[in-house]
Amino acid sequence: MARATDVLAEPLAPVPEPEPPARGLTPREWVRANLASSPFNAALTLLIGAGVAWALYRLGRWVFVTADWAVVRVNLRLFMVGRFPADELWRLWAAGYVLVAAVSLAAGALAASMRRPVAGDGEGIAGDLGGGRRRGGVARRAATALHRFWPAVLAVAVILSFTRTVVPSLGTLGLVAVGVAAGALGARLPVRLRRWAWLVGVAGILGGLQVITAGDGGVGWDDWGGLHLAVAATIAGIALAFPLGLLLALGRRSSLPGLRVVSTAYIEAFRAVPLVALLFLGNFMIGFMFPTAVEPPSFLVRAVIAITVFEAAYIAEIVRGGLQAVPRGQIEAAQAVGLSPVGVMRLVVLPQALRAVIPAMVGQFISLFKDTSLLSIIGFFELVDVTRAVTLQDAFRGQGLRPVALAFAGLIYWAGCATMARESRRLETRLGVGER
Amino acid sequence: MPRRTRTRRVTIVLVALSLFAAACSDDDDSNGAAADGNGDEEAAGTGGEGGGGDGLLGEVQDRGTLQCGVNETVPGFGLVDEQGEFAGFDIEYCRAVAAAVLGDAEAVEFTALDAETRFTALQAGDIDVLIRNTTWTSSRDGTENSRFLTTTFYDGQGMMVSADSAFQSIADMDGTTICVLSGTTTELNLATAAAGAGIDIEPLTFPDNEQLQPAFEAGQCQGWTSDKSQLAGVRSAWPDDQGGPEALRVFDETYSKEPLGPVVLDGDDEWADAVNWAVIATIQAEEFAITSDNVEEMTTSDNLDILRFLGQPFPDPEDPEAEAPPLDAGLGLDADFAVNVISQVGNYGEIYDRNVGPDTPLGLERGVNALWTEGGLLYPPPYR
Amino acid sequence: MATTTATGTRPPLWRDVRVLRVAFQVAVLAAVVAFASYLYDNLRANDVSFDFGFLDQQAGFGIAYTDLRPSDTVLDAMLTGLRNTLTVALVGNVLTLVLGTLIGIARLSGNWLVRRAAGVYVEVLRNIPPLLVIIFVNSVALSILPPIQDANEFGGLLVLSVSELGVVSLADGGNAEAFAVLLLAGLVAALAVSWWRRRLEDRTGAPAHQWVWGGGLLVAVAVVGYVALASPVVLSHPEVEGLSVVGGARMGLPYVAVLVGLVLYTSSHVAEIVRGSILAVPRGQTEAAGAIGLSPVQRLRHVVLPQAFRIATPPIINQFLNLTKNTSLGVAVAFAELLRVTNTVIGNGHPAVPAILVAMGLYLVVSLAISLVSNVAHHRLRLVER
Repeated sequence: MARATDVLAEPLAPVPEPEPPARGLTPREWVRANLASSPFNAALTLLIGAGVAWALYRLGRWVFVTADWAVVRVNLRLFMVGRFPADELWRLWAAGYVLVAAVSLAAGALAASMRRPVAGDGEGIAGDLGGGRRRGGVARRAATALHRFWPAVLAVAVILSFTRTVVPSLGTLGLVAVGVAAGALGARLPVRLRRWAWLVGVAGILGGLQVITAGDGGVGWDDWGGLHLAVAATIAGIALAFPLGLLLALGRRSSLPGLRVVSTAYIEAFRAVPLVALLFLGNFMIGFMFPTAVEPPSFLVRAVIAITVFEAAYIAEIVRGGLQAVPRGQIEAAQAVGLSPVGVMRLVVLPQALRAVIPAMVGQFISLFKDTSLLSIIGFFELVDVTRAVTLQDAFRGQGLRPVALAFAGLIYWAGCATMARESRRLETRLGVGER
Repeated sequence: MPRRTRTRRVTIVLVALSLFAAACSDDDDSNGAAADGNGDEEAAGTGGEGGGGDGLLGEVQDRGTLQCGVNETVPGFGLVDEQGEFAGFDIEYCRAVAAAVLGDAEAVEFTALDAETRFTALQAGDIDVLIRNTTWTSSRDGTENSRFLTTTFYDGQGMMVSADSAFQSIADMDGTTICVLSGTTTELNLATAAAGAGIDIEPLTFPDNEQLQPAFEAGQCQGWTSDKSQLAGVRSAWPDDQGGPEALRVFDETYSKEPLGPVVLDGDDEWADAVNWAVIATIQAEEFAITSDNVEEMTTSDNLDILRFLGQPFPDPEDPEAEAPPLDAGLGLDADFAVNVISQVGNYGEIYDRNVGPDTPLGLERGVNALWTEGGLLYPPPYR
Repeated sequence: MATTTATGTRPPLWRDVRVLRVAFQVAVLAAVVAFASYLYDNLRANDVSFDFGFLDQQAGFGIAYTDLRPSDTVLDAMLTGLRNTLTVALVGNVLTLVLGTLIGIARLSGNWLVRRAAGVYVEVLRNIPPLLVIIFVNSVALSILPPIQDANEFGGLLVLSVSELGVVSLADGGNAEAFAVLLLAGLVAALAVSWWRRRLEDRTGAPAHQWVWGGGLLVAVAVVGYVALASPVVLSHPEVEGLSVVGGARMGLPYVAVLVGLVLYTSSHVAEIVRGSILAVPRGQTEAAGAIGLSPVQRLRHVVLPQAFRIATPPIINQFLNLTKNTSLGVAVAFAELLRVTNTVIGNGHPAVPAILVAMGLYLVVSLAISLVSNVAHHRLRLVER
């Protein structure tokens, strides 16, 4: 009778060594796999390759040889800040520093509080910009940041290449340094103070606004233009439309029929009309919504109101989708635990709902940024309007320079939107949205 | 109370306070109703405390600034340069009104408007007066709730084509595309003129000249129709690498009457009268040969009409010894508003010559825009 | 939601949930009505007219590249604008769907170059405002196209000039209506045949080539009809005569600029949606399909694409809606769509508020129609949960 020990008395057959991991593809193999895996594929590669090469050649020639970039270089200030008086530009720089410092502090604190307390896992939003554990040297972290923000870095580099003095470049470097330092500081704040961080961010925004508009030479927001106006309108739009959209979404899902009807009517009506029509209508009608004793709001305020009203409807739909995605069991469990309806909303439903719709929400914010270009249609000195104005200057008219100016404006918009989109995807991955 | 609740309440209070702070201080500094970067200073006007009651006159005098709706794309009449400075015939008339009503020709805030929105801006109260090469027509008087004042420029509609095209009159332009500004009388007149000539044209409409010009330059339309004064202005500024002014030709034909003048909203007669007489003052000044140079000496002239006009005390013809007070016409303006207007801006002839006269790039002769004494249409009502 | 306290008495009114609910709704509705009436009174006090009679007055202006004459009414003018809007929307949506789907699939291709090129296209165009794209296309066209006197003509197929473009199209050669009716009948028959073949395939499992049968039937009907009716439709070639394009489909440059700009922009979004929907089909589905022996094409056709289609349809219909609303950007390039015509009408002295209300009403109708389709599709395609 065979016994277990008999089997084990013999030495076990040696386990074969595992194969060494497959080496990466040589260039030749890579080409075969990716470009020419079949005759059809090979033909496609040749065709598309020829087309792409031709397009790149034409594009390169246009950008570097034929296009007259003087129209951008001479008018760079108009593109950036519109007709802001030149001797008050220090206000914008000061406001920029205040804003960057405050917002970076807030972001650093937020990242620190979101960071999971696992050793070695120090990747927060400020993680590779200076907060948390130091992994790799400064150069490595700078390279990571560069890879992460390359659209914005490219746009800033292009803009700075058009400046004539070194002052703006120094100012920009200073901004980056202040941002990094403030982020690091924010990440190191004690837990007690971190809850006030977002307040610091808001205070920074308002403080920046004060710096620009207060005092003798203060420039009211009706005189803002260019990229500055686009960014300010976006921030104002987001800040105002988000709470309104949230309320509308909650109203639409409410069990009170009156509230539901009003919210639904609002959302469906304002999603159905184009923003341009609302801007025109708002320009005319908002003045009448105020009693005659009060001075009617300025044109920019009216435009921002129109944008807010429009975007709130879209945000309401997005939030509604998020609310629907929260499983019913969550609500039932929260009620079983004894939370009031407000508590259920605030502590259980909304955090999950908003987390689930982050990509759609950021997409809507990107859309808002793009929609600020429509301000140029109703007469504001927006980037698109700047392109028109510069091509009508005596030195540049009649030479077909509008595409050149538009390409520059397009680069700026693209950099802004691409950066936001990339950050949104990163946030998505980090928060685990969409993973099962 | 629990820490979280206290935090929340403190936060809400702080946010509310900071928002208030931001909102309140911004109102002091932001310009009221400007749509474009135009940055004119808000100098507080000191003149004209007169009889401005509850109407717009009183409101403007309290506010200290005149809000004037103007054009920004027509050389000679309303144009803005890259620093945001406005210049032109209509601009100077805005300043004349400000000088009369507020005593300070610089106390004006310009709002650039395009043709389609100019009347809605007036109706909404965003501007006090519209001086923007606007034609006086019956339907505008009626449906736009507007009141047209003294005509400052008698114009007519014309057609401009490329100098090397074969067109000599509108009858040659069958089947062509014509660029025209929308929301103007031009659009309607073009249709009438084309129908009258028995031809078919395609009108391509644009909201303002800045959008129209590239289309005309690129050849999208073969003709450009507008008021002849505008065409002269555009032609004068035509870039040299496109051939300069010689590359364009304006037909001699005139397709309509276009009396251009300031516009105010219906229903406020006091304001309308004030603006009207500010404008008339410039024409009357030219009739009296008063210029910005000699207005000081004219205040001591022997001519009783001139003294009355300039708001100076004038001797009673029957009792030369008694000091008679200056004439107060009850317009709500200072008695010597005409002095303010003429010394700070000038008389009609000076305004015309500075902006659109024969020595300017526009090179427009006075023609019908001369005084009645010289065969023109300017006939100021007497100031007494 | 107890309406009795522990002792069994009703709570006081101001704490009674039912009363509060009703009171809150009444308050909200009252606030809305109050605001509306206040606005109305304010407008009336400023003599803003609400008279809709202007719609019957003469327009007094014409619109380039359309049949509108100055003697037509204002309502005709606005409907012409609406027709322009809908034309761009229809043609644009079809082109967008085709182009977007192609590029979306290209982004998933095994070919690295194709994938990267499509990726660059999508990433660049998605992040630029549509207004910029439209104006860019317009300005490029203005600078490189010749004036109509020197128009580029491509052998009767295409005419390019800076004011008008012409494309070869079909024109009535005699019996076009009869031919259209015949084609419609043929289409219905083709659909019925392919449905029958599909049922056959589902029942027996053997391939029944439903699209070949249906398509073949349609082509046969078309050919027979064409021959029998002796060329009911002919090709109409665009030519330059004098200063305009005669024949073919005649399009103004603003129309083409808006169309091309919107198609480029919206197709990048549709491409992203298509790619996302195909990627969203769980990998397990593809693996299982492979495990039961389906070829890659069959896998795509029977497993992946139907599920991807379910996911993609609502967002794509949303993009259609966006394109339709973005036609209003034609205001910036002098394209006479609905909003532009409304502005012209207002600028010509007609009352502003009724005109804008009419325009917004028209937009509302179009958008709600598209939304209705979207909601129906969403409803039919959704997964039913408890």
